[in-house]
Amino acid sequence: MMPQRTWLRRWVTRALVASACLSLAACSRSPAEQQISDAQAAAARLQRSTAMLQRKIELAARKDFYLLLDPAAPELALMLRGAELQRYPVLGLMLGRPRVAWIQRGGHRPWRGVVWSGGNLEPPRPVLRVVQQDGGPSQEGEEPTAPPVPPTAEERYPVPSRYLIRFDDGLSVEIRPREADAAAGTWARWRTWWGAKWRDVVTAMRPRNRDALRLRVVLNPRDAESLYRALPPDVRLLVLDR
Amino acid sequence: MVDTPPTLTGDVPSDDRGLKQVTSRLRARERTLKARLAAMTPRGVFIVIDQTHNRLYLKKGDETMLEAVCSAGSGMVLKESSGKKREWVFDTPRGRFEVLSKRANPVWRKPDWAFVEEGQPIPKNPAERLDYGSLGEYALYFGNGYMIHGTLYERLLGRAVSHGCIRVGRDDLRVVWANAPLGTPIYIY
Repeated sequence: MMPQRTWLRRWVTRALVASACLSLAACSRSPAEQQISDAQAAAARLQRSTAMLQRKIELAARKDFYLLLDPAAPELALMLRGAELQRYPVLGLMLGRPRVAWIQRGGHRPWRGVVWSGGNLEPPRPVLRVVQQDGGPSQEGEEPTAPPVPPTAEERYPVPSRYLIRFDDGLSVEIRPREADAAAGTWARWRTWWGAKWRDVVTAMRPRNRDALRLRVVLNPRDAESLYRALPPDVRLLVLDR
Repeated sequence: MVDTPPTLTGDVPSDDRGLKQVTSRLRARERTLKARLAAMTPRGVFIVIDQTHNRLYLKKGDETMLEAVCSAGSGMVLKESSGKKREWVFDTPRGRFEVLSKRANPVWRKPDWAFVEEGQPIPKNPAERLDYGSLGEYALYFGNGYMIHGTLYERLLGRAVSHGCIRVGRDDLRVVWANAPLGTPIYIY
């Protein structure tokens, strides 16, 4: 009985090895095919790279301020005419698409490699203007009153815990400071979470082309505040695609 | 986030020779575009002004040579109650500018609003408009009457108190003066 069992085992092993080799051969490509596939991938990368360079040139040629978001670095840069004005390291990046009753609304729109325009803050940064009326001719010997010392940027512009930069064609970039929730208590965190969810649901149910795509960008708290205070109106955005 | 592998768009050649031609064309185009983009980015020293936070940066490439506290436009509105009832808004303009001229020991030719603000009559004699010393040691003009200059009120640096110009402290102004030649780009946001 023993030799017969060994013979059977040997044949089963051989059959298994042969079938594995056959399937491997079927799956693997010939060297020539592999070479063409690699060349195609390299050409595709070059094509992407040139498309990105073209977009960057178009943006740099305009007079508008623009943001460059590089998911690979990852960082967000405020730019003008090809010059980097400020760079913000990105700590987290997520893409969201609206869903109503678990069904995704809208198709898969591209978000990388597209120039988004008309970006403005929501809630908007308040414009505080002090109006001074001239006092007419001063009397002889009268001490001119010193104008009040204006507040600093930090005193002047309170920054919301999360804010959006909304673009014309349905993209909104949500800026969140990383430790925004950490300092708050459980109740406050829950209330903020619930408020945000509710606002998102209401926004998603609107038939408008608003919030068709949302990018959540997590920044350092100081950077998030700085960006809110300094972002010029009507910025453009390019999310780099490498 | 999901990274999609790059795929070639347009007519995709399936043979090796065709692909080599496409790749070579793309490489050449990439070189041209990189050169064009490099020509658009500032070479040498440039100045960046964050008017919200009242900061001036003197940069060279990626290196920041100087970070200075400055004072940008207050955004105040001044209204003239009599005469022509004019109105002035003291904003610093945003955008790209260049150092158009440089003056040591600049003399300020006070515009009408300076007299209106102080409640003084506007002088008819141009010599009465000249103000010596209030602009500090140096002034770098960047167009439309705007300049980077010194100030007598250094304690107010870091706050938006100017009439649109950029005020810088004495020591920082010396560094800017020494490193920013005519034509230096100024980016204000």
